[in-house]
Amino acid sequence: MALHLNLLHEEILEQRQRQRDPLKIGVLVLIGCGTMLFLYYLWTAYRTLEIKSRLGNVQREWAKIEPKVTAAQKHAAELTNMVTATRVLDNYIDKRFFWAPVLEKISHCVGPNVQLTAFDGQIQEDERTVSLMIEGVAAAREPRSAAEDLRQMLREQLEKNYHDVKVEFKTLEDAETFANLGGVRTPMARYSISATFKTTEEPKPTPAPAKVKHKTESE
Amino acid sequence: MNFPKLSTDEIKKLALSTMGFVFLLYAYFTFFLGPLNRSRHDAQNAIADFQHKLDTSKSEMQKATNLERQAKDATARFATLKALSPEGAPIAWFPPRMKGFFADEHVDKAAARLENNNTFKETELAAWTKYNWLIELPQCDYVAVGQALADLENAEPLLSIKKLSIHTVAEQPQFQQVAISATTVIEKR
Repeated sequence: MALHLNLLHEEILEQRQRQRDPLKIGVLVLIGCGTMLFLYYLWTAYRTLEIKSRLGNVQREWAKIEPKVTAAQKHAAELTNMVTATRVLDNYIDKRFFWAPVLEKISHCVGPNVQLTAFDGQIQEDERTVSLMIEGVAAAREPRSAAEDLRQMLREQLEKNYHDVKVEFKTLEDAETFANLGGVRTPMARYSISATFKTTEEPKPTPAPAKVKHKTESE
Repeated sequence: MNFPKLSTDEIKKLALSTMGFVFLLYAYFTFFLGPLNRSRHDAQNAIADFQHKLDTSKSEMQKATNLERQAKDATARFATLKALSPEGAPIAWFPPRMKGFFADEHVDKAAARLENNNTFKETELAAWTKYNWLIELPQCDYVAVGQALADLENAEPLLSIKKLSIHTVAEQPQFQQVAISATTVIEKR
């Protein structure tokens, strides 16, 4: 076995102790960590700058599109309002009540022995119910019968186009004066007829759902 | 594992270094990396926000184009309805228009006066106003009135007659006196 002599024992020990100096190791570790943190900071800063650059691009793109989008949104809102307003107006127009056909029907009912002196018609708040008040005189051998004929004829005519027609006398009385028809003194009657009808049919209530009988176990 | 024996002075140094290191880390994350990350997150959120706006804007524009195509009929109809009422205050043009209309129908002496005006309950018609008029025809013939009313109702779709009164004139039984309460729908100008 060869003899191994270490003549630099103390120097080597000192060198090892210098190498194990905690302060030196600490400083080295600190420098290492610092470098890593600095690199990580640089990397994060780079990513942030990149994202900011992307944000700038998106902002520029949005700035280009925004006026068009705002205009399109405004236009769409205007169109929607216009379409809705047109629909409501059309509904209003469709729901109007026409008076000319009523006048025509009344003119068809008036025979040669009756005369109208006043006509008042009004459409109620519900826009469906119409009320008429007709006043006049009838001259015939049986003037009341002539007035009744007018009432019945009026009801028949109105029932052709309207619903829930009610035609009734408010007053019917003999007049004291006589009419001269072809040189014949003819008795007269004054009448006042009230008529009401609906322009559209009354909405029918929906039938209640039929009760379903559940069979019990005993059944 | 053998740790080297540290002197008191070295332990103090080590503790001080550790504290310094912790403080350095705190300062690094709080004052350097923190704001940078916050800024990055804000930018990312802003990008997502803008991207969402951009995505929806395309569909919005498409929607407007489709709506415009679909609303072609309604646009024409709306323009027609608007054209029924000329510019200016209705009180200035409606009575002469009625006078002219009834004159054309051989009904003379027609006079229209404004009774009141009110707004619609429907929010869709916020831009429109109801005008209530009283049209008086003091001397006319029943048949002529009937014909005139038929023409009026057909020519003026935004006019609806609410009340109609026809009475004979005492001194001239061949004539009737007519009063028409009518409502017109006119766009606010």
